[in-house]
Amino acid sequence: MVGLSVGEKHFIQGGIAQDLRSDGRKRLTYRPIYVETGVIPQAHGSARIRLGATDVIASVKAELGKPSALQPDKGKIAIYVDCSPTAAPMFEGRGGEELSTELSVALQRCLLGGKSGSAGSGIDPSSLVIVEGKVCWDLYIDGLVISSDGNLLDALGAAIKAALSNTGIPKVNVASETSGDEQPEVNISDEEFLQFDTSGIPVIVTLTKVGRHYIVDATSEEESQISSAISISINRKGHICGLTKRGGAGLDPSIILDMISVAKHVSEQLINKLDSEIAAAEANEEES
Amino acid sequence: MRGLQLPLNQTQRIRLQRALEKLHSLSSKANSDASVTVADTIPVNYDDAFLKGHGTTDLNGELVATVCGVVERVNKLVYVRALRARYKPEVGDIVVGRVVEVAQKRWRLEINFSQDAVLMLSSMNMPDGIQRRRTALDELNMRSIFEENDVVCAEVRNFHHDGSVQLQARSQKYGKLEKGQLLIIDPYLVKKSKQHFHYLEQFGIDLILGRNGFIWVGEHVEARDGMIVDQANNSEQSTVEKDQAYTPLEMRQNICRIANAVRVLSTLGFNVDADLIIETAELSSSLNIDIHDMLGSEFHVLVAEREAERRSLMTKRKR
Repeated sequence: MVGLSVGEKHFIQGGIAQDLRSDGRKRLTYRPIYVETGVIPQAHGSARIRLGATDVIASVKAELGKPSALQPDKGKIAIYVDCSPTAAPMFEGRGGEELSTELSVALQRCLLGGKSGSAGSGIDPSSLVIVEGKVCWDLYIDGLVISSDGNLLDALGAAIKAALSNTGIPKVNVASETSGDEQPEVNISDEEFLQFDTSGIPVIVTLTKVGRHYIVDATSEEESQISSAISISINRKGHICGLTKRGGAGLDPSIILDMISVAKHVSEQLINKLDSEIAAAEANEEES
Repeated sequence: MRGLQLPLNQTQRIRLQRALEKLHSLSSKANSDASVTVADTIPVNYDDAFLKGHGTTDLNGELVATVCGVVERVNKLVYVRALRARYKPEVGDIVVGRVVEVAQKRWRLEINFSQDAVLMLSSMNMPDGIQRRRTALDELNMRSIFEENDVVCAEVRNFHHDGSVQLQARSQKYGKLEKGQLLIIDPYLVKKSKQHFHYLEQFGIDLILGRNGFIWVGEHVEARDGMIVDQANNSEQSTVEKDQAYTPLEMRQNICRIANAVRVLSTLGFNVDADLIIETAELSSSLNIDIHDMLGSEFHVLVAEREAERRSLMTKRKR
């Protein structure tokens, strides 16, 4: 990241304190979100989200697999993020790996409820099972960061939500009844698709604390000033699906509760905005 | 023009298209022959002897362009000047740069050139204002003048024999820039003009258009009469002052408005000069457009239409 002089840092902090950031936004305003769906035709679902200069792509691929022995009635979902070297010079070679793992883990925690049980996760894995105990869908969700200007987690969360609403999982006909350990034969239809139900998918809101105030959707300049940040994933009902705290500074518990209520308020507008943008993008995609 | 990454709805797209077509038709016809893309043949009289310059190559006996740009001819030299290349310094240009290194008796600045520019200690006015030989003590105290990551305004003095650029900051108006924001746009959008330092009185803002594409928008600072003499006290005082005095809100709003005007103009690919920036900012405030909405698609379309109208009026007046 390009460094900032003391004068510039002071200017940014002053802006945040006075509720007028460098590009004229208020503290709790998001940058304009630009959604495009269906950008990767070979994948079952994909979306590209632009949040200012931050540019991310998410793609969803479904493959047939065997459910795990511990949870035979649930499919499997894996989320993996890759930071492309074109996003920033520090991502060259293996530089982006740390950030990629951090983002992948945070997304898994927010959307899937952690690696241990998938109970209560944002995406319901039981809808992915085909034949209990034998065949299920494995969803591989990949995120790619093309250009980074801050707030990657929110952008990736929104991209995954858009990609999942764009996903069409092929309908499967189970060919014959089998018993015992035999693998059932399945026919994957090329014509019919099942749309994924994305109304329950949470959206991620990252609140960055700079000085005594919190801002939403920080650019990379503002992110260089953070003392701490909290990423909360909230679904449509207003329930918290996941929570991550980053940054070295300690936070008073009352501040965390305050940030959670602020995030809840912001997430309502964000979910509505995102849903309308996704619907518009899908309509555009159908036209073209 | 780079594809606009703005969510435009249908009517906005049509309006923008129309405005851009109008601008395109208004631009002088002579130049349209000169722009080339990769693998275009360059119209050259092959009987005359000519020199093949940068951006050209000989392909099957024809002179072909290897970059997208404009064909320039200087005497017998034919070359293609790429548009979105790095900044190409000329002597006397005003540039804004960021200090990347404090080295022996010099600072290295990043100015969007292929090499870092050098600002010698001897090309800087000393804080006490006296013209004297730089001592070893001055060298040790270089950090009190400029530190790493400081934003500095300077003038191109000359080129070194190895191609690197030397800068100077001898006048009062050059020096460290604080209390504002730095914007980065493409260098080709800033054309050489008589004035690069603008003091916008109605806003109370300094606007510095660096020819390397670094634009500084900040609070107005009176031309420095040398910094405070005692440098040790200075650093203490300045940190205490800074904690207390943030930029006042109204000035900050003006700074943000001007900065957004620059961003809009650079997204649309228009030449950035002070008059146009002021006009754009006044357009936004006269239409009561919220500062953040200036970066939305509607305002971009409005600015494009305004510019098309303005240029058509200018050409009509010329005739």
